[in-house]
Formats: sequence, structure tokens, C-alpha cells
Amino acid sequence: MAVSLERRTGAVGFFYWLWDGVDRTIFTAIKFSFPARFVSPFGFLGMLTFSVFIILGVSGALLMFYYQPMLDRAWDSVQFINDEVPFGFHIRNIHYHGSNAMVLLAVLHMYYQYFSGRYKIRNEVLWMTGVILGVVTILEAFTGYDVIFSERAELAISIAASLTTSIPVVGPTIRDAALGSGFSDFVLRFYAQHVFLLPIVMLGLMAVHFPRFLVFDVPMVMAIGGAILITGGVFPIDMGFKFEPTVPPGVTVPEWYLTGIYAFMRTQYDKFVTGLLWPLLFIISLVLIPFIDRYKKFSWRDRPIITAFGITSLAQIMVTTYWGFYISPDVSVPLVERLVIDPIFFYSTMILMVPLGFGFTYMMIKLANEAERKSKLAKSTGPKKVATINLSEKWINWLLVALLAFQVFLNIAAYNAALIGMKNISLFFIGIILLVFAAFFHIYRYSLSQEKNAPPPPAPVQEEKPKLAEPDASIEQSKLLEGDSLPKGKPEPKELAPEVPIPKTQADLGVGANNNPNLGSGDLNKP
Amino acid sequence: MSELGTKKSGGLSRRDFLKLMGAAGTGLAFAPFVPFGNYMPNPNQASLEKVPVILPDGTQANINTYPINHAEVITYPSTGDAALDAEAFRKWQFIRLPEELGGGKKDSNAIRAYSMICLHLWCLWKYWPDEGRKRGECPCHGSMYDPMTGTAFVGPASVQAAPSNTLPQLTLEIDSDGFVFILPPKFNANDNGVIGYGRFT
Repeated sequence: MAVSLERRTGAVGFFYWLWDGVDRTIFTAIKFSFPARFVSPFGFLGMLTFSVFIILGVSGALLMFYYQPMLDRAWDSVQFINDEVPFGFHIRNIHYHGSNAMVLLAVLHMYYQYFSGRYKIRNEVLWMTGVILGVVTILEAFTGYDVIFSERAELAISIAASLTTSIPVVGPTIRDAALGSGFSDFVLRFYAQHVFLLPIVMLGLMAVHFPRFLVFDVPMVMAIGGAILITGGVFPIDMGFKFEPTVPPGVTVPEWYLTGIYAFMRTQYDKFVTGLLWPLLFIISLVLIPFIDRYKKFSWRDRPIITAFGITSLAQIMVTTYWGFYISPDVSVPLVERLVIDPIFFYSTMILMVPLGFGFTYMMIKLANEAERKSKLAKSTGPKKVATINLSEKWINWLLVALLAFQVFLNIAAYNAALIGMKNISLFFIGIILLVFAAFFHIYRYSLSQEKNAPPPPAPVQEEKPKLAEPDASIEQSKLLEGDSLPKGKPEPKELAPEVPIPKTQADLGVGANNNPNLGSGDLNKP
Repeated sequence: MSELGTKKSGGLSRRDFLKLMGAAGTGLAFAPFVPFGNYMPNPNQASLEKVPVILPDGTQANINTYPINHAEVITYPSTGDAALDAEAFRKWQFIRLPEELGGGKKDSNAIRAYSMICLHLWCLWKYWPDEGRKRGECPCHGSMYDPMTGTAFVGPASVQAAPSNTLPQLTLEIDSDGFVFILPPKFNANDNGVIGYGRFT
């Protein structure tokens, strides 16, 4: 074999040189690990959130090339992107659904860290910056869907500005300083905050929030990207109605991450209390949770009160989020009755969630302890912890080839769909391509690690046998015999041949055989 | 393959095979994003049609009233969007030639419409009707254009090779009442020229 990919010459050598140069930079302070096998994505939800942040940064930067942050042009420019610009539909949907994915991943990330008690052991600062980062993420998403200046955005901007004004004493000043005085200012200032101020704040918080050990799992990142594109293909985001000051807007609700707060505001109680104070209380209690939680253990099962509060908050978030969305479809009822949520009913439900949450937690802990006890009893027959792909080398290779062929087909399908104007189908196919790549990469890395981890091939026993018959070898053998001082009377040289462990699994299939004829290239075999 | 595994001779090693597959898979996964590059050029919004020549005062140019040895700035193709119409690349010098160059005639030979983008470094030139000038002059590097042909005769634009020494031109038509119209142009070097690049005479 003349060609080998093991050599580091030319461009490859240059990139390795660059990579080694990174050693002198700050980046080596962060330990990136690229897992060689499947690991649970719960552990690196934060990294996934950051990956989506990067996707949003790229797609948002592209949208900035066409978007015009002007009162009478904003909606039209978005429509131009959506309908006229080639692949503008794709970019816009990736950006929109990416923002939803980022908020969702951030919330999941927070709750996973909450239930697994990761904010302990000197991680308090990480936790607190994380909570603030989550709040800024939601503000970022909120300013994002407002700069379209559709009907819904206009209503949302109005609510944001009036809520800011409702802050006692300093409210109007903050409103004037941060949001300006009218819709024209709001659109421009929301834009400035959306594309610059808030992302800069987020990057600053991230610098504090990032732990030193990061997991970058390629298949999972690609799968999240694929999920965003597929969602965009199946549920493409519409334009909404352009805001016309002379046309009264219809009934509308905010994005799903704000309907919880919206439900509180729909109880008709004071807007500062419902729209700002309650969310602020929730955020502050989240920030303070590491100092409230005095349990010595980490697992959610060992921290029943904290877990119960977490479950209760989750239940309340789900209920309020749905309630904020729900508006009775019966148009014969007066609008005010459809929109206003009975505060007594609403707050009673909120309070009812507390004993329900505690009861549910108690039940879950009981069940989990029982399950653990049972699994300890039946440990030998328990499920395997490490997932393996039980396929031979040959079939894994064919699987990779088949997936590549499928990728080729999907590529053609996606491009064809884009050519004939079926934009969402094309977006859907590209999402599938990313998902298939996730599966492909998983099989690829598994097979690569199998190849690396396979036991060394058996030494060729047959070739050594004639050596023993030679005179020099026999002298050595006799010396060896003396040294070993074996009086058992086993003079047969065959038995003294170096014992080779019989390879059990892959080695006899030829996996891991060092087929590389480039002698001395072993030092280049670094992963 | 399983039997031959250890005795493989020639061909790819398994590791190399996997690496090639990995590279191909990565390439295929990111290939669909290559056409996204079409996002960057702004799709042209205005259609090229026969339209009347509208002067800055809002009226249509008429050969019977338009002064001899005079120039105005006209917009083509006009989009109706004030911001887009302000673009220099849509601006043309609408010139009625001086008397001695045939500007007194009542036909389309008396008028010209040249792109205002200088062919040198894309500054905006303009027509000077003063006695002794009667030519297009670029304020940046002094290129001068002949109002008859649109060809530069002095300055850096004049030393550029054809077609980059002759301004793009709109084809004009005059109806029986004397009103001036722009005929749909073909923006390539052999016909009406390419704005900022030039035209073969």
C-alpha cells in the first residue's frame, strides 16, 4: 500500500502545527472532550445550548444583511427575506426555531443541574451566572421576535414598555433610557439590544459560566441541529400580520416561554406585581437555591424537600404556560371574559400544585429506592451500562456505505426541493441529513474505537516453531530452563513457546491487525 | 473479509477506509449548506420596462420644452422605494446636446442618457453646460466624457481599454407629442453597457 492517511505532511501537517500552537493560548485551559462512545446528553445540555447559540449567531448575522430596523420597513424586509431572497426562508426558520431550541435546552439544562445537585461543591457562581444567563436568553428571544414588528410584536413591545414603566420610582427613567419614547425607537433599540448588547452580555456571562471541562458530542450537536431544521420544515414560522395602526390587532398570545407570565397578567391584578414581581421572585429563589439547599448529598432522592420544590415549580410552569395559551374559542362570550383568568381559581390551582408536587416527589423517591433495591438484588441480570453495536466489522462497513448512499439521495432531494421552490420540504430534508449524519458519526466513531481498542493480534506461533529447533535458540532455551529451574520434567520445547492468549472477539476477525506497512510510523498513530 | 482480515495485502487498511468514510460523510452532511451562498447577493427587484423619462420636478420630459445644452438626473429602473431609488447605480445624466452637436433637432439624436457612475472608480460625474466645457467631468480624478458618444477623452477613464472607456447608455424614444421614453435596456457590454464597467461603441 503506497498511500496512507496516517502521514502528516503538507496541509495536514500544517493543521497539526496550528493545533499544537493552540497550546500557548487560553483555549487549553478548557478541557474539551470528544466522547468516543454514546454518553447521556443530560450531562452536556449546557454545551448543546451553547452550540445552538453559535447557530443563532451565524443565522442571525446572515439575517442582518437584509433586515431593516425601521418602523415602516421592518415587517416588509422580513417578508422580503422570507419570500424573495434565496434560502432566506431557511435562514429565518433556522434562526426562529433555534431560538426556541435554545430557551428549551437552557431550561432543561437548569433543571437537570437542579435535580442532580450540581450547584453544590463550589459551583454556586456557575449556578448563579447560569440563572442570569437564562433570563438574558429569554430577553434575547423576546427582543428577537419583536423586531419583526408584526401585530403580535407590536402588542409585545407595548406590554414590555408598559411593564418597564410600571416599576416604582425608576420605571419611566429606565423605559426612556433603554427603550426610547415610541415605536420607532422601540424597534431600533430592541434591534440594537438583540444583535449587540444582549449577546455581548451573554458572552460575558458565559466566560464566567463555562466550566473547565466541556463535552462536545458531535452526533448530539448534529442531531439538535437536525431537529431544529426538521421543526422548521414541518412548522415553518409565518409572517404574522403587518401592524397597521388603523387596524385593531386581533387576540394574540406571546411565545411559549412567556405565556406563564402572561397567565399571571391575565388575572387582572396589578401589572407590576404579576408581570415583574412574581417572575423576579422566581428568579431570585432560583439564584439563592444553593444557599438554601443544606443537604450533604447530591442525588435528587437524597434531597426530598429541594426535589419537591423543583417538581412543584415545574408543574406550575407547565400549568401556567398552558393557561397563558388557552383562550376560550367561544366567541359569543364577551372578550374580557375570555381573556381574564379568575384569580381565585388560578391561585388556588397554583397552591394546589404544592401538595401535589410534594406527594409526587415522595412517590417518585419511594419508587426509585424500590427500583434500586431490586436492581441490586438482580445485579447479575441487570441491564448493561455500556451500549454496544453487535455487528461484525463487515456489516458496520456496509452500514456506513449505505448511510453515505442515503446521504447522497437526501442531498439530491433537498437541492431539488429548493430548486422547485418547496422551501420547507428542502429544510426538512436538510434536517434529516443532519440526523443521518449524527447516526453515521456514531457508528463511525464506534467502529474507529473498536479498531483502536481491539486486542493485539496473536503472534504468529507457527513461524517461531522452527526457530526452537535451531542450535542458537536451543542454547537460549536451556539457559531459560536453568533460570526457571523447572524440575517438573517438561522438556518439550513446544510447551515453552511463548504463551499467546487466545483472542476471543475481534482479533480473530482481523480487527486491530496492524496492517500499516510504514515501519516506524507508530508514533504517528496518535488519535 | 473476516477470514482474510489479518492477511490483507494491498488496498486500504481498515483505519484508512474509516477515515475516508468519515470525510465523505462530513462532506455530504455539509454539502446542502453550500447553495445557501445564494442568500448573499440581493435579488434584483426592479423589472426593466419601457417607462417615461421623469424629470426631478416630477414631470415627463418633452423634447419641445426641454432646454438645449442642459442636463438633469433621472432614475432608472425606478422602484418606488425612496431609499432604493436614491442609489447612484440607478442614476443617469439626461442630456440635451448643445446646439453645435445637434441638440436643436426635435428627434432622439438630440438627447442622451448616460450612467452617472464614472468608469474609473465609480464616482459620480456630471455634465457641465458652461461655454468651453460642454462635457461630462468626474470630480474625483478628472475623467472627462464626450456628451455625443459617452466615451472618455481625458483622464484615467480614457486610458482604460474598451469597453471600460465608454459609459453605459439608455436607448431613448420620442413619441409624436414630443414625450421622451426609455426603451427596455439590455445591460451587457455589447448593447446598453454594464453600469460601472462600460460599453462597446
